[in-house]
Amino acid sequence: MKYVILIHSNPQPWGHPTGDYNAEFQALPKDEQKRMEREFYALLGELEANGELVHGEALGDPATSKIYRWDGGPIATDGPYSEFKEHLAGFFLIDVASQERAEQIATVFASPGDTVELRPAMWPGGDDQ
Amino acid sequence: MTGHDLEDVWRREVPHVLGSLVRRYGDFAGCEDAVQEALITAAHGWSRTGIPDHPRGWLIRVASRRLIDARRSEQARSERELAVAAEEPPDAVLAPPADQPDAAADDTLHAILLCCHPALTPESQVALTLRAVAGLTTAQIAAAFLVPERTMAQRISRAKATLRSAGATFAPPPADELPDRVAAVLQVVYLIFNEGYTASSGERLVDRLLTREAIRLARELHARLPSHRETAGLLALMLLTDARSSARTDMRGDLISLEHQDRSLWDKAQISEGIALVEHALPRGRVGAFQLQAAIAAVHAEAASWTDTDWPQIVELYRMLEKVAPSQTVTLNLAVAVGMADGPLDGLALVEPLMGASAAAHHHRLHAVRAHLLEMAGRTEEAADAYATAARLTRSLPEQRYLNGRLNRLSAAQLPD
Repeated sequence: MKYVILIHSNPQPWGHPTGDYNAEFQALPKDEQKRMEREFYALLGELEANGELVHGEALGDPATSKIYRWDGGPIATDGPYSEFKEHLAGFFLIDVASQERAEQIATVFASPGDTVELRPAMWPGGDDQ
Repeated sequence: MTGHDLEDVWRREVPHVLGSLVRRYGDFAGCEDAVQEALITAAHGWSRTGIPDHPRGWLIRVASRRLIDARRSEQARSERELAVAAEEPPDAVLAPPADQPDAAADDTLHAILLCCHPALTPESQVALTLRAVAGLTTAQIAAAFLVPERTMAQRISRAKATLRSAGATFAPPPADELPDRVAAVLQVVYLIFNEGYTASSGERLVDRLLTREAIRLARELHARLPSHRETAGLLALMLLTDARSSARTDMRGDLISLEHQDRSLWDKAQISEGIALVEHALPRGRVGAFQLQAAIAAVHAEAASWTDTDWPQIVELYRMLEKVAPSQTVTLNLAVAVGMADGPLDGLALVEPLMGASAAAHHHRLHAVRAHLLEMAGRTEEAADAYATAARLTRSLPEQRYLNGRLNRLSAAQLPD
């Protein structure tokens, strides 16, 4: 089953990993920061090695995006798209055996200052029963 | 000679060639790589010269050379080349050793038993079986599972490493482990089949490849284990299910449910073969889950239409299946059958107890079945709610379109004139 893990965040200045630029993450004791980073990169390595990680991208500053709305035709404006403080900062596509496994992974992606959204992907197949 | 002939030959020969090499040299991962290289050589050579008279001997000879070359280049560094050269196989490898006449015949079974080793996850068992026993390329397997080739390559090499560290060998498992190991193999074959059957609309070539391979593997297993009834049951179940494949999609590629399929499009030859297997296996003592599911598929296959189906018999078979292999899916299928045999309220009585906890925690099929039964019972508003919940929960695009369609029809019918 495929899921996307969407990382919503507001790093200042915009940068990756978002924790390096988030006041909330930076407020943690240094050894706690180190522990969380170790846990995250260990999991990422595991996902890469066992083929559960399909793809991941870190995204550019939302101010650099171009927005296309429709008003009788495409109307282009400059970003950001969202009026909210948090923006989509990056995404991971995973392919795992169960919802439980997806939730287990998303939990480790959680980090102070970030909001992690786990969202199932639709698939083109189905059963005729 | 066409590419198709070539594929047929190596699908047939790969497990024998791999088995022969692993028996001789051990080292499953190394042998598997060597077999893949021999296939590439064959693809280039045979398209010019035609398939040799003894393709198996040819492949074993070339794969052995590749393996030995690989070991030589590895071991040259440790200056042990001479010891390896002594391992070069004599020409006797072309034929099975006289003292082991059945060795080659058992290779397929042993190869698939190894690929379905309990140290591996079901996903890895499936990937390795398709690669090493069915002879599919990593690209084909990746396409079938809708992941990039690199991702699938990682899964396969991780699986091989796991086998190596588990000390798994090509030797047949001890007799007391054999029943569990064969059961695991059957599950893997069924997973392969379902992946092909339910993936996209089953129209893509690569999906047909998976269902065809699963049926071929089950045929080979059935030939090796003719008295194993669950193997016969699985083969029958897949033949009977696959027989419906031309009828299960419409022109847009959308799914048509069993109820609405044009049964004249079902494959009659496959249905008779499946029914014969069921009839042969069923009356012989304890009945397993695959035999029961095959028997249910056989009842559907023999019915002229959804309403003409022998629903009381299907109810009986699902009750037996619920005892042998209880699951929510079985209970839901039983509820559908009871709804047809005894009326929707009796079907609902089986579904309602499953509706604990929060609606979102349930599988979409619980709500879909409940919606059908409520619609049959004329409880339109509740049915509409259940269809909406099911449509929200499903991950399948065609099922979502189907459920939204039912919902729209109900809502339209409810509108005052």
